[in-house]
Amino acid sequence: MENSKIIDLVKKISKNRDELAFSEIFDFISPKINAYYIKNNLSNEQAEELTQEVLSTIWTKAEFFNPEKSKFTTWSFTIARNKKIDFHRKNKRNDVNEEDIRDFLYENNKSDDYEIESTINKITEELDQNQKKLIKMSFFEQKSHKNIATELEIPLGTVKSRIRATLSKMQKHI
Amino acid sequence: MNTSTQKNELIFGYASGNLGEAKSLFTSMYLFLNGAAAKKSSIFDNLLAEDFNKLEGIKPNKLKFSDCIKTTKDTEVPIRNKNLVSPLSKIIGDIGNINWKSVYKGFKEFSIPVYDNDSVKLIQMDPGTSVPLHSHNGKEYILVLEGSFCDEYGEYNKGDIQINDQKIKHNPTACKNDGCICLTITENDVVFFGKFGSILNLFTFIKSFFK
Repeated sequence: MENSKIIDLVKKISKNRDELAFSEIFDFISPKINAYYIKNNLSNEQAEELTQEVLSTIWTKAEFFNPEKSKFTTWSFTIARNKKIDFHRKNKRNDVNEEDIRDFLYENNKSDDYEIESTINKITEELDQNQKKLIKMSFFEQKSHKNIATELEIPLGTVKSRIRATLSKMQKHI
Repeated sequence: MNTSTQKNELIFGYASGNLGEAKSLFTSMYLFLNGAAAKKSSIFDNLLAEDFNKLEGIKPNKLKFSDCIKTTKDTEVPIRNKNLVSPLSKIIGDIGNINWKSVYKGFKEFSIPVYDNDSVKLIQMDPGTSVPLHSHNGKEYILVLEGSFCDEYGEYNKGDIQINDQKIKHNPTACKNDGCICLTITENDVVFFGKFGSILNLFTFIKSFFK
């Protein structure tokens, strides 16, 4: 879906609680969110439960989406990621809602979309396919170093040193 | 020590939710106080979001859009998190009201309760107070919340972090004007050196039984 169309739909949700606009956003983003949870080893049932929570947050907090700060998909991803972290925290404390803290940090971040995009472009040009794959497996799919080693059939020490080397390559640009 | 890689490992770990509760709290305070670190975190979020964008969608089986629309009551103006003074204040309240424990003259500490093997403490050092030359059996993370301190490796101000490993020996001293308050994580015991080193190490050893 075109970025301008998404922005328009989210505006309709935040201003008029437009259910039709929300249904379009739902059709666009819910399969990605659901797939993200399944990729992260959640059961189909858990994935749908969390997807529902993310979509409910999008409905209630649509006014917090700032298109100058990030793309809608990035905003949705951070909500989905935060819900997943919260889901996995073994000992949930009543006094600390980590999701609130993460929302707060996101809302108060001063970086703009253009600046971020140019940095991301530099990083993606710099990394080769294997390095991108390692970052994806370790940080996006949250696979343990041990599981990555098994999956890629390389020694554990190599996984660790390659991830470290990739991060240090990335940090030249950030 | 203090390499960008170690700082970035914290930031990236936080962005992906890989950190335990202690390091997660520490890093959220770091991002809260340090704009440059928050920017890095945001870049990393966006980088991970690129993978999210490329995902081939899997349509939910049962979920419908109408299941996600909350009742009118729930959708009344959402409250922004403006009241969040800091991630730390969510746990310990106002830093001015905590019950410090005096360790020695000019040096106080306060243990923050976390469900984690790493221990998190607040440390307050009066102006000019030093910690004797020491090293660590594991890593030590220090974030300056107020004031500043200096050691053999430089001066650290509000929002700066220092990460020390076993190889590092240092003798931090709080700045003469304001002293400092720091948030620290120690993965293992401290090892002291110098004239009183063996006495301090014995004290640390005995203390470890009461953890």
